[in-house]
Amino acid sequence: MISGFASAIYKKYEGSAFELMADVVSSALDMAKMKKEEIDGLFITYLPGVFDGLAYPHFFTNQVSQYLGIRPKFAEVSDYGGASALAMLYRAYKAIRANEAENVLCIIGGKGSEIRLRGVTVDSMDKLHSGISLTPFDKFFRGLDEMNPISDYALVANRHKKVFKSTDEQRALIAVKQRFNAMNNERALYRDPLTVEEVLKSPIISEPLHLLEAVYPVDGFHAFIVSKRQSQLRDLDVLAYGEAHWPEIPAELNDIVYTPAIESSKRANFNLSKVDAFQLYDSFTITVMLQVEDIGLIEKGKGGLFFEENDTSYKGNLPINTGGGSLNVGQPAYMSGGVILEEALLQLNYMAKGHQVNDVNVVFLNGIGGWNRSHSVTLVLGEKK
Amino acid sequence: MKLSEIYSKYEEVLSKGNIPYIRCEDCGYVFFYPRHLCPKCNSSKLEILVSTGRGKVYASTKVFRKNEVIGIYGIVELTEGFRVYCNFKSDVEIGDEVMMSSIKVGDKYKLLAEKVK
Repeated sequence: MISGFASAIYKKYEGSAFELMADVVSSALDMAKMKKEEIDGLFITYLPGVFDGLAYPHFFTNQVSQYLGIRPKFAEVSDYGGASALAMLYRAYKAIRANEAENVLCIIGGKGSEIRLRGVTVDSMDKLHSGISLTPFDKFFRGLDEMNPISDYALVANRHKKVFKSTDEQRALIAVKQRFNAMNNERALYRDPLTVEEVLKSPIISEPLHLLEAVYPVDGFHAFIVSKRQSQLRDLDVLAYGEAHWPEIPAELNDIVYTPAIESSKRANFNLSKVDAFQLYDSFTITVMLQVEDIGLIEKGKGGLFFEENDTSYKGNLPINTGGGSLNVGQPAYMSGGVILEEALLQLNYMAKGHQVNDVNVVFLNGIGGWNRSHSVTLVLGEKK
Repeated sequence: MKLSEIYSKYEEVLSKGNIPYIRCEDCGYVFFYPRHLCPKCNSSKLEILVSTGRGKVYASTKVFRKNEVIGIYGIVELTEGFRVYCNFKSDVEIGDEVMMSSIKVGDKYKLLAEKVK
């Protein structure tokens, strides 16, 4: 089902996003032994600013196809932020099975540095450019001093601490365990050993969240080619899939400590005891803690305890974020669904040099997107039955 | 009621420093973020009310930039039963009682919460 994939990540790429994107697509085509003329479907995702600082690309799939020189039968934007990569892979898989296309190209990425270096986040682009709306209620919401998405996730972390008695040390442990997995991953930007004390000594960005509990927005792309044809890669299948979207502004949610992962994973309805490795979206440590609870690895509120009691290293009993996750690989363009999807494919193809889990047949992925955690996509990949 | 009418009424209330909210006359749902149909039951029978401004801290976080506090951000649950995003005037903890007010910043409104001593 997946015939080629590739990535390239830089802290700062000195060039255009289009250029980097096309290079990564070429690498994926090389792996698939495919010519670009054979691409007949396109999915891409973007956020304002991540393509060379521009706010709202106009007819964006056209611009991408124009630069790449492809003429797909369909071309669509997937708009789930960090969860887009998993959703577009599934949509591509469905298109292939429905004979709507032969080879679908999925592209995720852009330049985080364009936004980072201007001192804002992708969720405050309205402070840089006029004419950008983030909610239908901006007049009554966007006058506040905040630093979303981290400040909104910090609210969840504080509420989780209050309601469930989770601790800063437990969240820091998630960063420490993921760093261990990154230490031998050649794709990781951060590979030095890390301790709980070091995480807690790093500057607080939005209390209780520290610098070392947050992803670093970087420049980079991931490309995946979903095809009918056989390739040198293992023939994988989608074993389960579910998505859920809670669009509410979080003040209007019943309880902010839950994410839509609780629903997307229920829709996927996959027996977790059959999973060999988990790739869980890790924008922040708290995001991972919420997901182990919401996908059902442990009861709600005990996500901190879960990390104390389980070995989540690539050699452990419950391997999670086996390449170190985007906390260590970096978060291209403020959306790291490509990072967890690539790691799943590396594991399933026994290509995870230095951090390979033994006997991997099933990988469970969960992506979360949006400053308000509104999008969740659960995808289980494994050997074709 | 048209959304533009809701906005006019909201601005009138907010510009006096008070907090408006909307109550659905059909299902009783109360909410702050303005919509002209009830987000729960889709009813158009909505009334705009003025909150007492009293509430409790639902969640808060102190936000830093280069080790300087740039604001305390969070969510308050008003006694009428709806929640809003706001900035806090000083350190608070979840459950603290607060009094809300509003100020205009540029063309937007900032809701502010102050701890009740």
